[in-house]
Amino acid sequence: MVVDAAYFAQGITYEAFKASMTRNREQLEANERAVALDSADVAAFRALRRPLHVVAIAEDWCGDVVANLPVLARLAEASGKLDLRVFDKSKHPELIARYKKEGTFESIPVFVFFDEAFREVGVWIERPASVTARRAERRVAIYASDPAFGSPDAPPADLPDEVRARLLAALVTMRADLKPWADREVTRELRELVQRAVAA
Amino acid sequence: MRITYCAECGYEPQTLALASALMTAFGGRLSAIELVPWLDGTFDVSVNGDLVHSMTRDGGFPEAASVVAAVRARL
Repeated sequence: MVVDAAYFAQGITYEAFKASMTRNREQLEANERAVALDSADVAAFRALRRPLHVVAIAEDWCGDVVANLPVLARLAEASGKLDLRVFDKSKHPELIARYKKEGTFESIPVFVFFDEAFREVGVWIERPASVTARRAERRVAIYASDPAFGSPDAPPADLPDEVRARLLAALVTMRADLKPWADREVTRELRELVQRAVAA
Repeated sequence: MRITYCAECGYEPQTLALASALMTAFGGRLSAIELVPWLDGTFDVSVNGDLVHSMTRDGGFPEAASVVAAVRARL
């Protein structure tokens, strides 16, 4: 499998992806509206001498897709330098097989950047490691905040229903609170990736 | 029976497939099959509170046959 112009054309636009979503569209669009791009980040993408082609591997059920694909889409829209096409993971097993996280996991989203000749210049997968780490820290703090939550390593299903619901709400709120910062981390990583790629 | 699955990871098909396999294998001999939506890539299966499969601990999804065997051993 080679990603070339013909293969790239099999992907769908971000708008078409949104139209195809069977779930989570409202959340994705809310995330899209909430992305606050820094003018310096947009300028860095606008400064690209030539547009990059971007393959995004996604599915509508995935929380990381719903969170992070809109960041890329907003950067593409604001800069005019990213030609974005979305590929459904389940319909393109050959694609995800090539871009497994750590060579093992079919994590999504995957963003693959190509130059004008479809030479691969960079790959970004799932979410920033900094976001994973900070969520883990906050998760530990949430568990420590209430003895009823028990151990972070214990199966949540062992908790009484009321406690489990309270814990789940706290975890969901924590993620929402981190979202603006997480968006900035995604933007920072994508900007650094693209700048490294074009400088090489 | 309790299956705790990551609701943001798209694990619903595996959850429903396992629940279906258990229903088919045991019919009315199970008091309940509880499906618990969660986060963090979870896929835990417990029988009477005993964790018989954990994606974190054991890796991947369980084979339905192994879960059926674990339940049968407890009947």
